[in-house]
Amino acid sequence: MELSNIEKLLEKYFEGETTLSEEQTLKVYFTREHVAPHLEEYKSMFQYFSVESNQKTTVDFTPIKTQKPSYKWVGIAASIILVIGLFYNMSPSKEANERREAELALKEAKKALNMVSKYMNEGTQDLVYLEEFGNTTKKLLK
Amino acid sequence: MKEKTFITLTNGFKDKLFRLAKRLLVSNEEAEDATQEILLKLWRNKTKMEAYRNVEAFAMTMTKNYCFDKLKSKESGNLKIVHSNYQDERASLQREVEAKDSLGWVGKIMDTLPEQQRMIVQLRDIEQYDNAEIAKMLDMKETAVRVALSRGRKIIREQLTKKHNYGIV
Repeated sequence: MELSNIEKLLEKYFEGETTLSEEQTLKVYFTREHVAPHLEEYKSMFQYFSVESNQKTTVDFTPIKTQKPSYKWVGIAASIILVIGLFYNMSPSKEANERREAELALKEAKKALNMVSKYMNEGTQDLVYLEEFGNTTKKLLK
Repeated sequence: MKEKTFITLTNGFKDKLFRLAKRLLVSNEEAEDATQEILLKLWRNKTKMEAYRNVEAFAMTMTKNYCFDKLKSKESGNLKIVHSNYQDERASLQREVEAKDSLGWVGKIMDTLPEQQRMIVQLRDIEQYDNAEIAKMLDMKETAVRVALSRGRKIIREQLTKKHNYGIV
């Protein structure tokens, strides 16, 4: 009785008219040890289907944390750079001091040199007498 | 959607995605890549996902489309050789491992079916979706699904009978 039922189901199966539960019945029948010899060839088909349905994938999905890059550290880095930059800009004042000192030294040096040249000029004024002396000697020699 | 909910949801059908991808792409590695890709796409669209009534069916359709794209790009590119390499490798491996195993033959016969029939037999006989679900996944009419299913099954039977009668060809 069962065999004729299976045969009927098989016929329907190949027409695509069986329901899922009827197909389940066929699967159960064909996965047992003993199958009617003339239906032996269908055994591999149904067995294949049930074996295949147990195939598993090794893919293990762990979603990557799609966090937005935090800008906190960028801000901190920027402020550090800013502070360093400010100090760096401040340091030229030292240079300016040096320049001021150099200018002062130059002024002092100029002052000293001026003094020297002043006395020099004062000295040369006295040379007029020397010239007068020369004139008189010329007169006398004449 | 939280990570945990997502994983439990997709764990319910990721094997099915993988099997469909493998049925279409043949290569194991490529099927794994496809599965990973589909899960990633789902994860990226997780906000929209809640709106879909049937995420599983949606994921199956995505897998189908992804595999078709893969196959198409292979056909147009020079990569076709690579693909047949996979097939060769698998065939030889199968011959070794399952030389006498008739189950291997069923798989091989299935892989020779036209893509549509192959998918339908896969979805119906292996994954046990009903025709209405398959029709929705593959964007077909239900009657067309039934016809293709019947045709695919008959081809498998025909080829199996041939093998059965002549022994291993």
